[in-house]
Amino acid sequence: MRRTHALIFGYNEYSKQILAQIGGNYREITLFVSNPEEMSVAIKEGWSAELFDLSDDWSVIEERFDIRLLTTFCALANDAENVFLTISLRSTFESMLIIALSQSHESTLKMKSAGADKVMPVLQIAANMIGDMITKPNVTHVIHDLLYEDEGLGVMEVKIDQHSPLIGKYLHDIDFGGDFDLILLAMVDNERENSFSFAVQGYNHHIDKDDVLVLMGDKKKLALFKQFERG
Amino acid sequence: MLGKWIVETSYFLQNYHPYRSVKNIIYNLLENNHYHYKKIFDMVMIGLIFLSIFILIRQVKHELSPEWLFFNNYVISLIFLVEYLFRLWVCSDTSKLIIEQYEHDLFLHRPFSLSRALKLAFLKKFEFIRSPSAIIDLLAILPFFHELRMLRIFILFRVLKLFRYAKSLRRLVSILSSKKFEFVTLIIFTLTVIFIASVLIYVMEANNPKSPVNTLFDAVYWSVVTIFTVGYGDIIPVTSEGRIVAIVIIMLGIAVISFATSIVVSAFTEKLDEIKKEKWVDDVTRLKRFYLICGFSPLSLEVIRRLSKGSIPIVILENDPILYEQAKMHGFMALEYNPSSMETYTYLKINFTHQIEAILLLQDSDVENVFTALTIREMTKHVPLYSILHHLEHRRKLQMAGIDVIINPHELVGLMGKILSSQPVAFEAIYALRSEQTSIVIDEIVLTQGSESIFYPLLKEKLFARRLSVLGLYHHKNREFRFNPKDNEMFRNGDVAIILGDRILINEFKSILLRRGIG
Repeated sequence: MRRTHALIFGYNEYSKQILAQIGGNYREITLFVSNPEEMSVAIKEGWSAELFDLSDDWSVIEERFDIRLLTTFCALANDAENVFLTISLRSTFESMLIIALSQSHESTLKMKSAGADKVMPVLQIAANMIGDMITKPNVTHVIHDLLYEDEGLGVMEVKIDQHSPLIGKYLHDIDFGGDFDLILLAMVDNERENSFSFAVQGYNHHIDKDDVLVLMGDKKKLALFKQFERG
Repeated sequence: MLGKWIVETSYFLQNYHPYRSVKNIIYNLLENNHYHYKKIFDMVMIGLIFLSIFILIRQVKHELSPEWLFFNNYVISLIFLVEYLFRLWVCSDTSKLIIEQYEHDLFLHRPFSLSRALKLAFLKKFEFIRSPSAIIDLLAILPFFHELRMLRIFILFRVLKLFRYAKSLRRLVSILSSKKFEFVTLIIFTLTVIFIASVLIYVMEANNPKSPVNTLFDAVYWSVVTIFTVGYGDIIPVTSEGRIVAIVIIMLGIAVISFATSIVVSAFTEKLDEIKKEKWVDDVTRLKRFYLICGFSPLSLEVIRRLSKGSIPIVILENDPILYEQAKMHGFMALEYNPSSMETYTYLKINFTHQIEAILLLQDSDVENVFTALTIREMTKHVPLYSILHHLEHRRKLQMAGIDVIINPHELVGLMGKILSSQPVAFEAIYALRSEQTSIVIDEIVLTQGSESIFYPLLKEKLFARRLSVLGLYHHKNREFRFNPKDNEMFRNGDVAIILGDRILINEFKSILLRRGIG
């Protein structure tokens, strides 16, 4: 099920960038701020914002949104408050997709324990990028193009449809490079409790419904593959 | 007339390139600790000193061949003499002093005072001649006149020359000389006690026929042996009065030893930080290649962790004492110097071209990073500069400061947020590859022209088939990326294959390629 609504908690440099980037992915984005000062800054910069507090009253969210269609970004500047926000949201909404930002390795572990589905360790992300740019400049260039460029190469997740012609086949039976000009990066096996593995690990998975394939290639060819996969 | 000739000669020498370069080489060889060949020169000199001492000892009970004696008496002494003269030559710039005096007089419309200029030049040279190390050098040459048998013992002065060549010995002297006043006080105190004790023991004991103290020299000898707590026992007081003197001297002796020990210990304690810093600077100077990180922050810590996986060492420059201490606590090679000051790089004698792999500006403010970038760019245009960008509106300023790669964490998080919210599995896969949390990595292989016939068949071998994936070829020349290349894709020199697979397998692939002649 495609998530159509996003909530962003906190207004700072990180959340500004998230707001700027995810616009095309969601039908509606709601910004929550913790104090009137942040609110006035957000409004001044052209965003409508709503106030929230860290008490357990999340009725506003419950009433307004279908939780199953929600993605939440916990992007408060303070890690302790962010952990508290995450745990508070998770205790109320089990099916909400929570993406949290963390400023340190220690906080990353706490965010995970607090119930965040995905954690973005901001310092580690920047450090990895710097490290890659120095040691593997070409790789960094390619990954950047794959992930962030609007045209040309891209990455796509394909969830195997129930009518997919791939169902029942083994990974080694399919020549992704030759037949589709795509490269299979990774796969999530639904049968094995959503276990994630890279294609180059060499496992010859049996493809079933709801498995997820992560493919890389030209965006047009990725779209063609998606059509093919849907039968 | 003489004055005019001397001034002309001085100008000639100042501008005569071969003369200046020879003097410069000799200066570096003798005085510049960072000059590569100085280490070799010092080792040779140390070798000569030990050889000289060996010959002296050997000579006592053995007959030495005339060649060895000639070598010791003439060759080594001559080398030391030449070294002494060179040191005298490079210790000051006489021609410069003469020119300065001449121009000074000219400016004031005064006749040139040659005598004053020569006096100044002589005083500079004399300053060197009367320095302890120069005196030792001179005494070490004296065995040259070996016919004067007594002068042979001066060979031992050559041992003292070791202080010139061994840095640790020089450091020891500088540490101890910082406590000069305390040592002088201690010496005066000790000499006073020895003097009083000698006189007392002589007065008390010399008239007693049973006492071994017969002369004033015996008394002084006994006092020295007692006060330094050696106590041979060959001379002992026999009278009660003499023994009372002994009791007092023994107690004072303990005080003298304790005082001396405490002076040495406190000198070392006070200088410990300085010694450590000097050592770290030396360590950095000796590094062949390293990454230089300006500023220590939580981000620096993460970057260091990431870069530490490679083999290139990392050096941190941090001006803030607290952050510097934090870096040291983590066990990193950190120096407490201001990264935005040119003096820092001059003092550390960093060779940007040969030593620096890349400089990373990771200070907490864009202002500091721009300032540091401009400092570095003033000194070199070629070193790769990477910088963190804290505020997007400052990007242009960082670019203008000459920074090659600018990374803004907020922007990165925004982009990742986009991928994460739409394609979480893809994000996880890419993040796992990036952070190298699993054994699966993306790596680069540099290729050579015409190596297709080895590269593609090797990929299809059983060991690598389906376990290594070539994402693409990066054509170095036209900066074009060919995704999922076909088996007939041609290589040019310097093209890079982007390959995905297990780290061990990639390394094996690389080594086989290397063995078969490409990569």
